[in-house]
Amino acid sequence: MMNKGHTKEEYLERLWEMKEKEQVSVRDLEEAMASDFDRKFIEELSMDGLVVFTDGESNIGLTVDGESQARQIIRAHRIGERLLFDVFGEEFEKGACEFEHTKTIELVDGICTLLGHPRNCPHGMPIPEGDCCLRLAKTTNNAVVSLVEMEIGQSTRVAYIESRDDHRMHKLNGLQIRPGVLIRLHQRYPCYVVECEGGNIALDDNIAASIRVWSNSPHDQPQQKHLKNNQKVRSRWQKLLRIGHRSG
Amino acid sequence: MMTNQETPVKKIMIIGVPNTGKSLIFSNLTGKFTEVANSPLTTIQIKTAPLVIGDQRYVVFDTPGLRSLYIHSEEEILVRRTIFAEKPDIIIQCVDANRLKQSLGLTSDLLTLGLPLLICLNAIDETARKGMWIDSAALSRLLGVPVIESIALQAKGTTELKTAILRARAGKCAIGYGDIIENGLIQLVSKLPADIVFRRTIAVLMLMNDSHIERDVAEILDDGEMAELHQKIISIKQHFRGNIHLTIENQMSRWINRIYDNVVKQQRLVPTQVAQKIAGLCRHPLWGLPILFCVVYILYFLVANVANVISEWMNNYLWKPVQDGINDILPSGFWHDLLIGDYGVLSLGIANALMTVLPILGVFFLLFNTLEEIGYIPNLSVLTKRMLAKFGLSGGAIMPLVLGFGCKTMATLTTKILRSDRERCIAIFLIAFAIPCAPQIGLSMSILGRMGVSAFAIAFSVRVFIGMTSGLMLNLILKQEEEKFVFIQELPEMKWPSLRLVLKKTYYRLYWFLRESLMVFIYAALALFFLQKLGILEAMKHVLRPVVEGFLGLPLTMVDVIILCFARSEAGAGLIINLVQKGQLDYIQCIVAVIITTTFAPCFANIVAMIKEVGGKRASAMLFTITLSAFSIAGALNWTIRKLM
Repeated sequence: MMNKGHTKEEYLERLWEMKEKEQVSVRDLEEAMASDFDRKFIEELSMDGLVVFTDGESNIGLTVDGESQARQIIRAHRIGERLLFDVFGEEFEKGACEFEHTKTIELVDGICTLLGHPRNCPHGMPIPEGDCCLRLAKTTNNAVVSLVEMEIGQSTRVAYIESRDDHRMHKLNGLQIRPGVLIRLHQRYPCYVVECEGGNIALDDNIAASIRVWSNSPHDQPQQKHLKNNQKVRSRWQKLLRIGHRSG
Repeated sequence: MMTNQETPVKKIMIIGVPNTGKSLIFSNLTGKFTEVANSPLTTIQIKTAPLVIGDQRYVVFDTPGLRSLYIHSEEEILVRRTIFAEKPDIIIQCVDANRLKQSLGLTSDLLTLGLPLLICLNAIDETARKGMWIDSAALSRLLGVPVIESIALQAKGTTELKTAILRARAGKCAIGYGDIIENGLIQLVSKLPADIVFRRTIAVLMLMNDSHIERDVAEILDDGEMAELHQKIISIKQHFRGNIHLTIENQMSRWINRIYDNVVKQQRLVPTQVAQKIAGLCRHPLWGLPILFCVVYILYFLVANVANVISEWMNNYLWKPVQDGINDILPSGFWHDLLIGDYGVLSLGIANALMTVLPILGVFFLLFNTLEEIGYIPNLSVLTKRMLAKFGLSGGAIMPLVLGFGCKTMATLTTKILRSDRERCIAIFLIAFAIPCAPQIGLSMSILGRMGVSAFAIAFSVRVFIGMTSGLMLNLILKQEEEKFVFIQELPEMKWPSLRLVLKKTYYRLYWFLRESLMVFIYAALALFFLQKLGILEAMKHVLRPVVEGFLGLPLTMVDVIILCFARSEAGAGLIINLVQKGQLDYIQCIVAVIITTTFAPCFANIVAMIKEVGGKRASAMLFTITLSAFSIAGALNWTIRKLM
């Protein structure tokens, strides 16, 4: 048996999604909820002042209060999806469904900030903005940053692409710039050049900015360079010592 | 002949993502040479050639690059329509082994078509250097189609490819998109007429909102059926929570990764390669420009010092004896003039083409093709990006402009990839007016080289200045349209040029030059000859005297050059070289002559391409503006230099 509070939230969530698709009729809601549909719940939501019927009970919409509640649920759900998708790669729907019921706005905002204020969920649906997005809150270390904030020569994994343009996503995807792949920034000026899966790609600034990457990736190239330099120094010393031995 | 008619000719289509060596494979298979370069956008039209294996006759199609059946640009739509219309019997997918992942998406698309497929794993030799090992047997097993390793540059693997053509078969690609989408696809397929092919692919493309498939399907269905199909798509989308496009793509990526992980057995992180370093330097904001200037200077140096010497030698030892011989037999008169007079068929026609222009073009193409083979030229797109943005050109226009330095006609045709009409006009105008093509560069270098480096430096700076100002002005004049083309450009890897290919390419470019223009040279000489004999030339010169002598500060014989340029700019350049040799052009006149002949007249083929891309009205407006600007600029330049010196 479903938790009653949760079920109401499912209704609010569906109604938000209907708004995105510009659907208004109760029938659409019925279709979206499928077997979970129960007229009783919408009556209750109406009594709570969260939804309102129009057009003689055949159409339904969110009130201002209902909309603000739905907004939080949707935001938590989609941020949750983003988090799970970016961290684990798949199977994000289930976890996100649980996460959407969190009542702590700070928690959602915290994750949002950590992920660099993503604009879209992995399905490509828009994530409603939170206070943190408007303030563009930045912790000392966002886990996900834009590619443009990377250092030249640094390699990192792509977290997600911030774009709602399917066409552009498909093109980047074809060049293998997609979540999870290792990407390396070669140059910033006169235009961005990255290396990805063996190919070099030149990009517009705004496209480079839309590529979000993990900031503290273990594949930090400059560090490797350090190591190499150390080795070079060491081998030079060894050579010197050997020469010293011979001449001595 | 009749016996061969019994077995139908089978169609083989070579398909692959850009810059994977399709044209090389095509010419290796059929022996027919087509333009190849280490650069995307080299092939922009579909070419065919016959091939016979055993007693089966085939026709092989070479196609422009295609990233996936989901379309991104105009030249891709051409390829997809050709696949759908021709329904090839065999598809050879050309894959760059070093960028296997980038090709596998297209592989899955081709597999779903259900046509016999064959994969040609090209440039396999380079994978070893990169610490990559591809298990092609496993790849063949997983995809269910033959996989042939090849090194197209060295023509290795061609025999294997030919035998594998007989074994090509439809493979397997089990990518499922989940119940909702799959059921939706089944319903969509059932709504499509049973007699059209590739119904599943069409259905998938329609669900992905492909920009062109709707138009193509609408041609087959009537309005009612189309509306029904639309309704179905909308209801599937409503039923599916989330973005269908992304879901389909994610499933495909998962499939690609699974194949890749099974096939690429070992991959170690290779330290930055030398090629990578050099490519990086060539597009570096600080080092890129000096390198570009060095490259230009080396080109100039070799053309001025090597090509000019060869051309002089040929003139002295091959042409002079012929001229003297004819002089002995026919000291004067009509036939003397017709053959070796100032406008003689032999002197201005054949000797001009073969002794003056050909050696210069030969040396220049040898160098230019080497640059193309190395893969240097596409890197310029990075270097010039910011500057071109100021001309109102987004990144998409960069490659066509850069390709203009090779051949203006080809470059004009590649502007198809630009979506905005405004950008296309700017790009086409700049290609015609501001960018000198390879033969023009080579011949200008040769002319200016006779006057010394400073003449070349002045002309070079003026050209750069012309390019910049015309770009900026066009941007101001043409109205701003929204929707910019996004710039996502794959850069080819730099590699050591293959001498064999460079030589072959140079040979073909010279061969094409002679085939196309030797007759034009002769006709142009004949035309001038009769104009002169009829006194029309004198009349023209009289009319043009104030412009040519007064404004441009050039000798009146330059009228001949200008007329020749209308026929073929190389012919005009050849005559300029003759004038320089006779001492009829001085330092300043040389510079002015080069500027005017390289700016005002795009060749005939380019004009045809312009008309094709923007229509006759706009093309003539452009040509008028170009001619007017060319004369004003050359005149202004003449006066400025004379004032300064």
